[in-house]
Amino acid sequence: MHTNTGRRLLGLSMAVLSAATMLTTATTASYAQSVDLSKWSPEYVKSIAGTKQFDAAKDCGAVVPNDYTGSVSYWYTGPFEADPQIAHDQDKAFWEAFKAAYPNITTEVQSITYNELLDKFRTSLLGNSAPAVIRLQILGGVEFAAKGYLQPLKPEDIGLTAADFWPGALKSVTYEGVTYGLPTNNETMALIWNAKVFKDAGLDPENPPATWDDVVAYSKTIHEKLGIPGYGLVAKQNAGNTPFRFMPQLWAYGGGALDEASAEPGYKDVWINNEGSKKALQAAYQMYAVDKSVPTSALTNTQGENQAPFIAGKLGMMIAHPAEYAKMNDLASKATGTDKTVADEVVANMRYGLIPTGPDGKRAVVFGGSNIHVVKPEFVQGGKVDEQAVKALICFWDSPEWSTKLAWVGSNPGNVNGFLTDAMKERLDTIKFLDVTTSMLPNGIPFPVIPQAPEIMNIIVPDMLQNALTGSMTVDQAVEDAATKVKAIVDGGGGI
Amino acid sequence: MTAMEMSAGAAKRRGAGGWRWSGRIFLLLLLGFTVMPMIWMFITSLKTGFAAMQYPPQWWPAEPTLENYWRLIDPSGNVGRDFIQYFWNSIWVSTLTTILAVVVAVPAAYAFSRFRFPGRNFLFFAVLLRNMFPAVVFLVPLFILMKALGLVNTHGSLILTYLTFGLPLAIWLLKGFYDNIPVQLEQAARIDGATRFQAFLLIVMPLSTPGIIATSIYSFIGAWNEYIYAYTFLTRHDQMTLPVGIQRFFSENATDWPGLMAATFMMSIPVVVLFLVLQRYFVRALTEGAVKH
Repeated sequence: MHTNTGRRLLGLSMAVLSAATMLTTATTASYAQSVDLSKWSPEYVKSIAGTKQFDAAKDCGAVVPNDYTGSVSYWYTGPFEADPQIAHDQDKAFWEAFKAAYPNITTEVQSITYNELLDKFRTSLLGNSAPAVIRLQILGGVEFAAKGYLQPLKPEDIGLTAADFWPGALKSVTYEGVTYGLPTNNETMALIWNAKVFKDAGLDPENPPATWDDVVAYSKTIHEKLGIPGYGLVAKQNAGNTPFRFMPQLWAYGGGALDEASAEPGYKDVWINNEGSKKALQAAYQMYAVDKSVPTSALTNTQGENQAPFIAGKLGMMIAHPAEYAKMNDLASKATGTDKTVADEVVANMRYGLIPTGPDGKRAVVFGGSNIHVVKPEFVQGGKVDEQAVKALICFWDSPEWSTKLAWVGSNPGNVNGFLTDAMKERLDTIKFLDVTTSMLPNGIPFPVIPQAPEIMNIIVPDMLQNALTGSMTVDQAVEDAATKVKAIVDGGGGI
Repeated sequence: MTAMEMSAGAAKRRGAGGWRWSGRIFLLLLLGFTVMPMIWMFITSLKTGFAAMQYPPQWWPAEPTLENYWRLIDPSGNVGRDFIQYFWNSIWVSTLTTILAVVVAVPAAYAFSRFRFPGRNFLFFAVLLRNMFPAVVFLVPLFILMKALGLVNTHGSLILTYLTFGLPLAIWLLKGFYDNIPVQLEQAARIDGATRFQAFLLIVMPLSTPGIIATSIYSFIGAWNEYIYAYTFLTRHDQMTLPVGIQRFFSENATDWPGLMAATFMMSIPVVVLFLVLQRYFVRALTEGAVKH
């Protein structure tokens, strides 16, 4: 009995001590702030790349000694079979480098697919078998922070400062004023178009539509001249791809779901029925129902259904992830014989451009990426979290070097100092259009950082689109219906 | 036979022939409907990643390759190592589920068939009641139960769960089969000096082999293909079964369609082989169980 009590006290003392250490660690690895986000442009990104050297092992060694002995369990979405080879190589290199830097920290790592990770994490939390550390999609964490599963985690805990991250990215991990995670990588989508289709339709093959009104016009022209869909509209219900592609249009016209596009969002004001939102929905309606210049299957399409027609030259343009080009390049490199010829031609005709602006010149895109979080010990397998090992792993992952390398094909470093690294320079030299997709970052807007965001974005917004496009409601009715629903769940009538 | 009668006979034959041909065409269409997805799956598995994304699709790949299959069976690569692990996990879980289902269902079905005891009909109905609800209804309660038993992330959780689904069906199938075995055969054996157990083992069991095999196939296929419980109960890679494991061919922004199709094709092989080898018994079991003698 006494022994057990003693053990409990000892365990408690160690937990308190390690938690206190975590919160008070000196920021010895802090990087001098040499990235000026206010100057952001493709030229600026190129000019700073490769200008500074970092040593992750040394920098993190100042936060957690390199000879520290401990263990950490970690879940993330690593590279899988459909990802380009370089993503696999960088992932492997990271774990080898971490092992070399921290030879006495044992890691229990699981790579779980993007579509499964949230469900599996929810299940593991219920079963008290969660990992100590998890990397989730950008807004995945807010649900768990709201439910009390996550520990506070701020940049200073791993020797960084808030200035080392995009403000929008830090906003995505802040719930009710507390930071519950750190951004590991951030990306924004861009407009991708097929230069050959544009040329055949009599449009400028080297320049994308400048505004969303131009998108409507270009789409109509392509459809009329070539008989193929011009713009790859995506409007499937309960699908994440729908808001990722429609919200940029909504924001550009001055709309929003809540006030997430404002400078100081409070996530209380409902914008989904304002004039901007109506105009954006009207533009989508024009393309789908009036001009019929988008795929007729748009109502059930996720982005996947647009890929094959785009590659085959049967679709003019679409909103695409930065990884799209890298993926096509990888497929082309593995193609053989006659397939190789066709694949090379497809790659040669791919173009990336900035997301179009609204009528007032407003350009907006969803701020994407991932964040890393620490789970409270009571929900972790074994009931313990080795705070020092956790900090070592997060520090290493979020170092300028590895934050860049681990986001090689489809994203950008969450730690903005990554833009200074040699790795970033190599990426810019080898990944075509990276400067374009990277330059969209300042236009990134995170979805509302509230637990109800998935319901608003994945259910209410697509429903609004469907109601208008199918003609079951007028545009005005659809936005009012959506506004009523958004208000109801924000006021506490729904949500997760 | 009058000319009119002969003409009527010919018309009848023509009519019957017409029906026969219509039936054949219908069956052919039905066959195409069921086989086409499998053929398409196989063809896609022979394509490169780029060829699989062509639109309109290539009906036969310009550059067919077996690379996707080599990846799956090569234990030196990540894909092969994991796939083989998932495969053995599925074999282990499905086989153990099948064995346990048969071991429990055989005596249970026999008891329901042969013995008259109070509450027999109620108990039999209670056993079947479980299968009248959608599987997903039991997901959360079973998860809580498995958590309490410390079985989350173990194959034991799946085997127990699959038994709760498979057993009622197995008992029901086998009971129908035992009902059709004349009780007089057992009585004759008893007169010859056999105990009840010996009569069961030496007379009833051999006669019920087709039923047991049919039940085994049902149990095996059910466990082999099950997804939602495996998805919920297992988070560790080394524990995953094939239906959950092949999710790795989907990533955030792309899908490795040829790899996925190759894995799915490989996954269907054990079930197809099992069915082909045992189909004789399977058909017998279904027909004999369906008719009262």
